[in-house]
Amino acid sequence: MVDVALIDHVFILAAILFCLGLVGVLVRRNIIFMLISMEIMLNAAGLAFIAAGSAWGQPDGQVMFLAVVTLGAAEVAVALGLTLLLFRRYQSVDVDNLKELRG
Amino acid sequence: MTMTELHALLPIIVIAGISVVLMVMTAFFRHQRLASLITYGGFIAAAVLVAGQTGSGPQQATPLLIMDEYSRFFSLVILVTSLAATMLAYDYLRRSDVFKEEYYILLSLAVLGAVVLVSSNHFAAFFIGIELMSVSLFAMVGYMVQGRTRRAVTLEASVKYMILSGVSSSFLLFGIALVYADFGVLSFSGLHSLLGLHSTSSYSQIGAAMIVVGLAFKLSWVPFHMWTPDVYEGAPVPVTAFLATVSKVSVFAIIVRFFIESGAFRLEALVQALVWIAVLSMLVGNGLALLQQNIKRLLAYSSIAHLGYLMVAFIAIAGSNLANTNLAVEATAFYLVAYIVMSLIAFGIITTLSSPERAEEAETLAHFRGLFWQKPGLATAMGLALLSLAGIPLTIGFVGKFYVFAAGVAGQLWLLVGVLIVGSALGLYYYLRLIMEMCKAPDTEPAISREETPLENRVVLSALGLVLLVIGIFPNGLITTVHAAVAVLR
Amino acid sequence: MQLVWIIVCLFAGGACAGIAGRISADASRWLSLATLVVAGLLGLSLLQPSLQDPSVLIAGSDAPQGQWLHLVQAIWIPHFGIQFLLAADGISVVLILLTLFLGFIALLSAWKEIQQRVGFFYFNLLWTLAGVVGIFAALDLFLFFVFWEVMLIPMFLIISIWGHEDRHYAAMKFFIYTQASSLLLLAAMLALVFIHWQQTDSLSFSWFDLLGLDLDPGLGMVLMLGFFIAFLVKLPGVPVHNWLPDAHTQAPTPGSVILAGILLKTGAYGLLRFIIPLFPDAAAQFTPVALTLGVISILYAAKLAFAQNDIKRLIAYTSISHMGFVLIGIFSWNAIALQGAIMQMVGHGLSSAGLFALAGALQHRLHTRALDAMGGLWSSLPRLAAVAMFFAIAALGLPGLGNFVGEFLVLLGTFQVHATTAVVSALAMVVAPIYALVLLQKGFFGPPSAALAGKVDTVADFGSRELLMMGAMMLGLVILGLFPRLVTVYLQPALAGLQQLGWGG
Repeated sequence: MVDVALIDHVFILAAILFCLGLVGVLVRRNIIFMLISMEIMLNAAGLAFIAAGSAWGQPDGQVMFLAVVTLGAAEVAVALGLTLLLFRRYQSVDVDNLKELRG
Repeated sequence: MTMTELHALLPIIVIAGISVVLMVMTAFFRHQRLASLITYGGFIAAAVLVAGQTGSGPQQATPLLIMDEYSRFFSLVILVTSLAATMLAYDYLRRSDVFKEEYYILLSLAVLGAVVLVSSNHFAAFFIGIELMSVSLFAMVGYMVQGRTRRAVTLEASVKYMILSGVSSSFLLFGIALVYADFGVLSFSGLHSLLGLHSTSSYSQIGAAMIVVGLAFKLSWVPFHMWTPDVYEGAPVPVTAFLATVSKVSVFAIIVRFFIESGAFRLEALVQALVWIAVLSMLVGNGLALLQQNIKRLLAYSSIAHLGYLMVAFIAIAGSNLANTNLAVEATAFYLVAYIVMSLIAFGIITTLSSPERAEEAETLAHFRGLFWQKPGLATAMGLALLSLAGIPLTIGFVGKFYVFAAGVAGQLWLLVGVLIVGSALGLYYYLRLIMEMCKAPDTEPAISREETPLENRVVLSALGLVLLVIGIFPNGLITTVHAAVAVLR
Repeated sequence: MQLVWIIVCLFAGGACAGIAGRISADASRWLSLATLVVAGLLGLSLLQPSLQDPSVLIAGSDAPQGQWLHLVQAIWIPHFGIQFLLAADGISVVLILLTLFLGFIALLSAWKEIQQRVGFFYFNLLWTLAGVVGIFAALDLFLFFVFWEVMLIPMFLIISIWGHEDRHYAAMKFFIYTQASSLLLLAAMLALVFIHWQQTDSLSFSWFDLLGLDLDPGLGMVLMLGFFIAFLVKLPGVPVHNWLPDAHTQAPTPGSVILAGILLKTGAYGLLRFIIPLFPDAAAQFTPVALTLGVISILYAAKLAFAQNDIKRLIAYTSISHMGFVLIGIFSWNAIALQGAIMQMVGHGLSSAGLFALAGALQHRLHTRALDAMGGLWSSLPRLAAVAMFFAIAALGLPGLGNFVGEFLVLLGTFQVHATTAVVSALAMVVAPIYALVLLQKGFFGPPSAALAGKVDTVADFGSRELLMMGAMMLGLVILGLFPRLVTVYLQPALAGLQQLGWGG
């Protein structure tokens, strides 16, 4: 069992990372940066899993982390495909080009 | 893994097999008919396997998945729905010039995710299932942007859906991590003796709230609904049909299991928040649907409202009285089935009327004007679906709404029942407007293609229409099935 | 069993007529007529009671029995304690016969008027009738609600497809008023059932089981209001009457006949059968309000009626006024007033159906509903004008005709318990002749209007089909006026049984 105070610190770090990522997704208009911010959010969750797993002395946290990484990879694979299509259509990676759906 | 576990997992293996076979096949040659037949066959085989296991008692297969009556019931529902959705999509895909086989690969992967999701009783499987489904879904929304017959809005819809899906997964994961940090347990039942009872730490409270936020995105509960109308409109309609039914139903099915098995209903603040989410969903969904001219957007808002109705029953589960709780769980399961039947008909009709070869979908009121006199069969089916969505008797939607009403009244949730009444009254207007549009004299210039309805679509739509009416008039069979299915929870 | 057969016959006949309409319009017409003949004969057979000893059949309830003539009971959705329970006493039988009779009238008035999408029209017409018959017979609350809604959709379609210029607006308004209020009914119904469940631990929607429930006064009032609003909308009474003038005006003639003649009666029937027996205490407390609403309906609608220029709107407002009498009759809750209320329902059913059929005939001939654009028809259309005269004076309550009996009995009964109400309502006896005479004066006497000049002689008078249909209604009104006992003999035992359930029984 690791130090409980340390766990709290790790979680505060994870929470900060998570919020940074969230703000990034919300304010950035460049799709590449939005994807990076999403990755940061996912990895914040991964960090939290590792910290929790080590606190309880279980491998489950690390297993979950592996799942998170896999998910991140899968998501990015599809997302980059879409980015490519976006770029081909508009010659830019700015999501503000996409504004036909309203109402 | 023992043989019994393997046997229990067989349906899941069969579904995974479909996508593998299709991927290998597509690597060598493309053939839409063959791909569709393999998919149908796989779904039917999996459904038969699931049905064969019904009644054999709960079977825990690895610590991650449980095969009990509840998961079997919903697996069956998902498989049958997916079969119907794929059959409805065949002609649409045939007429469009995108790659067709990918639809079947991605769809079977999404179904695999959905079945894993409803069978999970552990956070790891829960997470894998939900992500497998989401990633396949946003790929499905997005991949048809290529080709001559693309619609401009599809790309936008897929980017939006991808980003929101990613954000909601992060919320879900962070929430799970927090709950795990608090208790060191990842299985639902392991939480049962902990969650809400030993809440000395705020970790688990925040964690549960974040899990709910993550799922709320997937279920498009207000205020996490913003993506829904855009994605419904932008996605090709066969994808919307699948998205609106299977993804919503599987997530709702598991949230019910999660809340009951983990004891999350004891978190009073959370339940209180859910009440407000329900109120907002019903009002916002119905209110915004009133203004819509686009049928796909209208159905999107109506689905938000219907998920709000479902939440009335969901919240009623929190009640203390055991009989009421059972009633409420049954109500959610029954309503989910009703919701699938009626949405599938509505989207199926839009699919049938659309002309992908002209990159045009039957989504405006003009497409439906006078339909009753031009294609009486399709119009009757659409009319039934709309009446059912509006909750008119002798349809499955009425029995479902009645069930939800009953659960709300038994749980004495007067606020929610009141909003349910207001919402349903608002809903009448826009469903009726569409019916009226179908009854008007047709335009001189027909807006829709006048081709024969393909046989596959006719068979599926008549079957669904029949189900809608038969269960609407004699609901007893489904009630008994649902009753048995939910009895295993808790 | 006849009850089931009537409903099945109407549903099946409607479906067949709808399908036949795709082949030939005439096939559809004759099929509908045949269906109604069979249903009518079955309806007449209801006059012969099929129950010898009703107490045996209604198991597990201590409700007052003996007045029931027919009963059909079957399990439907046991999980919720829902039965397929149809029962008819004298009141139901009288109203079912009225429904079937007016069904004939509607069919005859549709014969020439409806020329488009004929099959689908008869489908809707027969399904509406089936729903209404179901309402008058259903004693399981769930089943009642199902029929309550089943009659709505076809009616909505009748108005919105075959109606006049503003039909979509009128149809939507009609539907939203009735449907929104029926959701209140559903909620109140469920709450009642769950209270019964909590008290007795058995889930049942049967009317017999829900009688005499021990309700908390506040809650009882809320639930009673849920039922009351739904029925008041249908009746309709002030302040929720707003849909009716539009719906009546825009509906095609057969639609108006059904709406005015029958659909309004379902609201009154609901008040009579459900509100007071199920919530005697709350209803007793509520009586002053209900009576006031009734009086306002009577006078306000009568006043509005004579300000109308559209002939169908005028008749629609007189309907509201007449149904106000039914409302006060029911809430007076004594033998005389109740008999009066039902006689008024039957009388008004015939007279308003007659007036709407007449208005339809006029519109068919003159292509207008405006009274301004008529005038002088007495000389050119003598038969039509004579019939109009008859129905107008029937509506104003001339002694010797059906409506007089109803109004007189209601006032007499009400006077015994609420004298002021009766006195104020009696003012309507003064106002009614005004609007009836305005109708006759503007429409039939005096010089022809400018719009009509020159056209009058080319317009055809009533033919034999129309005379037959009008004659049947006129005969009905005369019989009702001269020999009310023919009807009341069926009502008395039923009302006596019902009265024990209310207050002061």
